[in-house]
Amino acid sequence: MRRALRERIETGAMLAPSVVLLTLFVLVPLCVVAAFSFALRDPYGAVLPGFTLDNYRDLFQSVYLLVFANSFKLAATTTLLCLLVGYPVAYFIAFKAGRAAPALLLLLLIPFWINFLIRISAWVVLLGRGGLINQGAMALGLLDTPVGMLGTYGATLVGMVYAFLPITVFPIYAALTPIDRRLVEAGADLGAGPAETFLRITLPLSLPGVLAAALFVFVPSMGVFAIPVLLGGGKEIILGNLIVQLFLEFRNIPLGAAVSILLLAFSGVGILLYMRALGRVEAMK
Amino acid sequence: MSATGTARRGPGWITRTFVHGISGWLTLLTFIFMLAPIVVLIAFAFNSGRSTVVWTGFSLDWFAKVWSNRHIARALNVSLVVAIASAAIATAIGALAAIAITRRQFPGRDVLGAALAAPLVLPEIVLGVALLVFMSYAGVSLGYRTMIVGHVLVSVPFATLIVRAAASSLDPQLEHAAADLGANEWQTFRMVTLPQLMPALFTSFILAATLSFDNLVMSTFTSGVGTTTLPLRIYSMLKLGITPEINALGTLLVLANVTILFLVMGRYLPLMLKTNRR
Repeated sequence: MRRALRERIETGAMLAPSVVLLTLFVLVPLCVVAAFSFALRDPYGAVLPGFTLDNYRDLFQSVYLLVFANSFKLAATTTLLCLLVGYPVAYFIAFKAGRAAPALLLLLLIPFWINFLIRISAWVVLLGRGGLINQGAMALGLLDTPVGMLGTYGATLVGMVYAFLPITVFPIYAALTPIDRRLVEAGADLGAGPAETFLRITLPLSLPGVLAAALFVFVPSMGVFAIPVLLGGGKEIILGNLIVQLFLEFRNIPLGAAVSILLLAFSGVGILLYMRALGRVEAMK
Repeated sequence: MSATGTARRGPGWITRTFVHGISGWLTLLTFIFMLAPIVVLIAFAFNSGRSTVVWTGFSLDWFAKVWSNRHIARALNVSLVVAIASAAIATAIGALAAIAITRRQFPGRDVLGAALAAPLVLPEIVLGVALLVFMSYAGVSLGYRTMIVGHVLVSVPFATLIVRAAASSLDPQLEHAAADLGANEWQTFRMVTLPQLMPALFTSFILAATLSFDNLVMSTFTSGVGTTTLPLRIYSMLKLGITPEINALGTLLVLANVTILFLVMGRYLPLMLKTNRR
């Protein structure tokens, strides 16, 4: 009896730090933000006590709807591009690379060793008017005059894919490696071509990894702010920029809180979709 | 037999090229895409001119400039303090929770496990904003304390997952053996369980420190006056324009990371081999 009590006290002591951390610094702050998103604001944007839906009503102005549309478009395109490039790479490392696989995975980690802002700055230089890509294209005769690639949507996408590609490859690779190769061989023995075995065996078995990769790319993509500013010239305002501006520049806390809650809801929907899709994939097996 | 063979080879040739062959080419192109910018970046750190595009000659001037830049030195100091403190705290909190989750029965175990992974899938920018609002509401001034709390939130999911994976693969028989040999609970933990968890704790610490050292989003909202981290400093430098000073700084960071990695490998590999042999 005393032993059981002691174990319970011990367990409580082990759990206390994480419970306190999550409650005090995640749950309570999120509740405060949710409360502030319904608060009144004075002309300078500071919080006044009260209850209003004006902050959310303001978000339905076309300016803000456009910001949401921009963010969604950027996050969805980034996710799609990362999956299209990341899947074949993960597939190659898992099944074709053989003994080179660990080295390739390590090479893919190199970008993580370098501050991501500095990596993005490398792209700022490469894509510039006098940059190596323009120089190279002109030297090869592909271009007559340098093209302004910086400050375009394409430049933003290059930076986004560059930043999120490693995060895409790892979960897909992790889902591909445990696939029993005998299943694929069995498919081939039963007369299925490589495309059919891929579509009916390899791809379905690796879907949980693909879904995880999509989630890991989509959620942070919705909140980025540095890459579109540095590579896209900050022309299209997205959620990340809006939140930074509302909180740190305009100090319009109630409106910023409403934007944050909406972004949180967006991510919540993403996670729910992920879990439903995962459930469906697992039911298929 | 041969008829079916050729029939299979017909369309199969196309799919082999596009489903399998193309993955090799795409992988090669991807690695060029990922690594070439870094090579160019490092090369132009040694440029003598102000340009990051036109090569004018070899020099180490930009490294000297980084070395004598007081803002960078100050920011590096802030980043290191926050990285080490937050990594130590995140690893301790994550490890305690992970061991409790894998070893103990308690109500709400699954909920806590999911909640500890939550910061992984919640947008970091929202967590940062929430912390900023809460801290200013509670009257805590922004600085080291707020930033360390923020960075712990970012890295605690990783710490928990790493230690959970290691703790759940431990062999319970070793602990039973220790108990049979007369060790009490604390001795068993300290002399049997903990040494086996050391590689995971070490990995978790290094990963958490790396995440903190690279963090921009959380720092944007939780840093105060005088606690500008290196990424925040770099971001403001980049907005003013790029000189080879950025490249030199990047090169130095790569060098530091490679050194740390080798030290880690040197320490970590023997540990891994030892546990494998056992």
